[in-house]
Amino acid sequence: MPPHESQLMPQGLKYFLTRFIGALITMLVGTIVVFFVMKAAPGDPALVVLGDFATPETIARFNSDQGLDQPELIQYFNWLSGIVHFDFGQSLSVSKGEDIGDLIAYRLPSTFIIGIYALTIAICLSLILGTLAATKRGTLVDTGATSLAVLGVSMPDFWLGYMLILGLSIGLGWFPSYGFVRPSASVIGALHSGFLPALAIAAPMAAVFTRTLRTSLIENLDRDHVRVALSFGHTGRFIFLHHVFRNSIIPYIVVIGLQIRYLLGGVVIIERIFGINGIGSLMVEAAFARDYYVVQACAVVFLGVVLTVNFAVDLICASLDPRRAR
Amino acid sequence: MKFSALIKNRTALAGTIITCIFLLAVVFGPMISPWASGGFDFLNVLKPPSWQHPFGTDSLGRDVATRVLEGARISLMISVSGVLGAMILGITAGLFAGYKGGWFDAIVMRIVDLFFAFPAFVLALFLMVALGFGVTNVALAIMLVYLPLFARITRNTTGIVRNDAYVQAARVMGQSTPRILFREILPNISAPILVQASVAVAFGIVIESGLSFIGLGVQPPTPSLGVIMADGQEYFRRAPWVLTLTGLTVTVALLALNLLGDGLRDLADPRLKARDA
Amino acid sequence: MTTSRNPNRRVILKAGVAGGTLAFLPLWAGAAEAACATLRAGITGYNVINTLDPGQATLIPESYVIWGLFNCLLKFDEGMNIVPDLAISYETPSPTLLRFKLRDGVKFHDGVEMTAEDVKFTLERLRSEEYASPHKSKFAPISDIRVIDPYTIEIETAEPFAPMLSYLTNTRTGSQIVPKHLLENGTPEDFATNPVGTGPFKLQSYEPGAALTLTAHTEYFEEGLPKVQTVNIPLIAEESAGVTALLGGSIDITSTAPFADIPNLAADSRVQVLKKPGTNSRFISLNNAVAPFDDVHFRRALSMAFDRQSMVDVVLFGEGAVANGVIPSSISWAAVKEQPKLTMLDPEAARAEMTKSKYGPGTEAIVLTWGSSWWKRFAEVFVLQVNQVLDVNFKVEVSDSGTVYQRMQSGDVQASIWGWLGLVDPDEYAYEIFHTDGSRNFENYSNPEVDKLLEQARSEMDQSARGDLYRKVEAIVIEDCPILPCFESNVHNLLAAKVTGFVQLPYSAFGAQLATVDNC
Repeated sequence: MPPHESQLMPQGLKYFLTRFIGALITMLVGTIVVFFVMKAAPGDPALVVLGDFATPETIARFNSDQGLDQPELIQYFNWLSGIVHFDFGQSLSVSKGEDIGDLIAYRLPSTFIIGIYALTIAICLSLILGTLAATKRGTLVDTGATSLAVLGVSMPDFWLGYMLILGLSIGLGWFPSYGFVRPSASVIGALHSGFLPALAIAAPMAAVFTRTLRTSLIENLDRDHVRVALSFGHTGRFIFLHHVFRNSIIPYIVVIGLQIRYLLGGVVIIERIFGINGIGSLMVEAAFARDYYVVQACAVVFLGVVLTVNFAVDLICASLDPRRAR
Repeated sequence: MKFSALIKNRTALAGTIITCIFLLAVVFGPMISPWASGGFDFLNVLKPPSWQHPFGTDSLGRDVATRVLEGARISLMISVSGVLGAMILGITAGLFAGYKGGWFDAIVMRIVDLFFAFPAFVLALFLMVALGFGVTNVALAIMLVYLPLFARITRNTTGIVRNDAYVQAARVMGQSTPRILFREILPNISAPILVQASVAVAFGIVIESGLSFIGLGVQPPTPSLGVIMADGQEYFRRAPWVLTLTGLTVTVALLALNLLGDGLRDLADPRLKARDA
Repeated sequence: MTTSRNPNRRVILKAGVAGGTLAFLPLWAGAAEAACATLRAGITGYNVINTLDPGQATLIPESYVIWGLFNCLLKFDEGMNIVPDLAISYETPSPTLLRFKLRDGVKFHDGVEMTAEDVKFTLERLRSEEYASPHKSKFAPISDIRVIDPYTIEIETAEPFAPMLSYLTNTRTGSQIVPKHLLENGTPEDFATNPVGTGPFKLQSYEPGAALTLTAHTEYFEEGLPKVQTVNIPLIAEESAGVTALLGGSIDITSTAPFADIPNLAADSRVQVLKKPGTNSRFISLNNAVAPFDDVHFRRALSMAFDRQSMVDVVLFGEGAVANGVIPSSISWAAVKEQPKLTMLDPEAARAEMTKSKYGPGTEAIVLTWGSSWWKRFAEVFVLQVNQVLDVNFKVEVSDSGTVYQRMQSGDVQASIWGWLGLVDPDEYAYEIFHTDGSRNFENYSNPEVDKLLEQARSEMDQSARGDLYRKVEAIVIEDCPILPCFESNVHNLLAAKVTGFVQLPYSAFGAQLATVDNC
């Protein structure tokens, strides 16, 4: 059903607000789900922290200190109000007593940077391969590119990570297989140490992007307006860039937005393998250490990032093509 | 989708053949293998691939190839059961939501959006922490990861076809809603769903092996593919073949499933573009 | 309740991180580290450090660092003999009295001199209810501490207590000497992350989960030590990653090494592999109070149903030795020298023994395991062998260490893989595990004869007599089989080719060992 035309609010703003509020509600419901599901987890935070010293008295004291003896709904609201102020509580075991917000703030940039790095590689690779495949459609180049693409989505990303380590690190010694140098310390170091992990994450994404771009370009290459432009005498390249590419971009961007979900998921294992101190490896460490607060916090952070990215992608697409603002 | 059409499409054909070979190997391999599945041989630990042991041996002297086939069986079972569960629940929800619309649709879609806001692996990881690890819980996690996907696809396609002629005819004839949904609509929208199913099983294996690989999924001694790879990772430098060849097997299996899915997609209504997960 | 970090500390931490991450610059980027101004010593296999307050530390990586920052009255040398540390000498005028003569001129990191007052304060702090140290019970036998003069101190125990000397050594017993003048009014919150001791290094910065930086304590009491100015300690959670970092030149030393890689690394010219039997003991804990482990014949049958040497070969890739009892061979004066017959594989004898028990083929049991791959393999290897020899049906169940520990304490377990690492006095092993009141006796084992011998050993001050008592205990225990001792693992350090001066200790006193390194 088409949105009700309001005389006071322009269409664009209404769209923006609807999506924004929708995202907020999803975020809120997400926090509820995360919190209550985590409550159902086996294991007791008191035992996790106290370990050897767990006696009924120390447990009771711990629970009252942490507010765990209050009704769960109250606990949820306390936690929620904390989150709004970026206070996620304190770590139980990953880094005892440390403010989780600090922990996340320290580790988020690494994930962010590797993510951007991976995305860049994926976009570059797919632009080249996708365009090649579409323009040289049906030839060996096309088959080659599409085969690579199918291969890309068939490899488990952590296996690819290890293969890259085997070949490029242990074998040729070109790249380190562990550790990530932060750009604040050295940009070249970051590019160097981040290459293998970024590539491992990028490969499946590049595969998906390539396929989408190829399909999209092929569709547009056949369109009428292209033939018309040709008949006007425009050069092939001009037509390609201005007509074909421009119209293919939108599904491409949509897919990129969708793949952000995958990117964040892939980051988790890759960070662990390559020893990158990011949010992904934090979540895995917390899972092993039964640090429920940190796991909750990470889940919420991931949720927030995905919602934000989705929102941004929606806005970009809406601005590029107003017809999409449904 | 006719069988002859399936054969004519090269990708689908390749995919089907490899998948069949793979399934045969998985089902019959451990039976015809000369190596006992639970066996151990402390004198032949970490031996490289040879005629006797095509994939070499692992840290307990077990034949890796036999273990991989067993592991593939287990991983497939986990993934398939998870995806089946997701399909049953998701398709049902999607059918009703797409057909009825209204508040039910709105709620279902909101829930779906929520699930989609979590990266798949993060959601799986979170569920493993909440549920505890083990085979059943991994299958459960996979089910919960894919449920929203099937719900959304079903709902979207149902929404497109609900006013088609045959549906209206069925309504006029007084058929009950469930009958309409399952007998009339579902068969006609099965194509994109099946495409997604093959992709889902493929990625479900990746999720399971990923979780087991980091130690939060299936636990040893159950030899799922992820467990075998986790073992292989420990001595990767010394005996890289365990991790490499196990992963290669997974890649080939996924390749087959993806090709199959692609072929199905090409054969199905080309206008019904299913979104990548 | 949120501890807020002040901005200054954040700046320091960031500087420390920058310094620490510089260690990871690849060589080709043209940033080779200056010769041995900065030693890069990685702690591998762990990355959680919660506190550097010796009285509160319980985790292994915490001890690694604490050893570089603090000293004790005494310490162990490579042969596990007690030698002086902060105390120049000691004497035992009577079995209940220890008198120590301390060095003079020992300075804490803040320049204040260490005296007997600090020693008394340290011990009383460990014994206090308020401070609630995990090591409190070890120092409970102390009845009085007297400062005779600034460099002489007397410690009196209520009864003769032989282990006390071991507890006062620089190990993981928490008795590192802390500064009274900083802590006498209660421990400030930041002492755990900004500790002050007398050790060869000072803590410059700590980035949680990532790295630490230490600088030399210029007024350290040992002449010429430490030989390096700065030490970067990255915390590397994966052992194999530590190996790669070393081979790639990003670090100079690792604190451990993966068992699987030792043969390859030994042949690699880029790295030196140091190995030594470690002070640890790995065994299979059986709950003697529940079926099927409540029958001594069944337990004995199990003991003869698997081969421990092949366990060492397969689980540890050969990097270890068969255990003859629960006291590690590195505590040579108290360990059992020969492998008891009951711990050798003998399938026929095992089956014969099993017929004497009330359990037969097909008996089921669950063996709990947890932790890293080789622990899980440990359980698998045991179960596979035992199932084959005795035709029983044991299964492995994977859990996590916290859960298993709780279950062992509450008795909700049949069998589990367990072990102890880094305990240095035979009393800590034998008494705690075998005595009816032992704090580590999770097997519900009780033998009055053993109890008597253990109590006797506790008050026997003559070391060789004491050692004989422990061997007697182990001989009896082997017949009772409450646990199945399996093996002890080696300790390893990897050094880059040009590193010299690093001396290995069986209990891996990592931080302290860095002080003598002179070339990197």
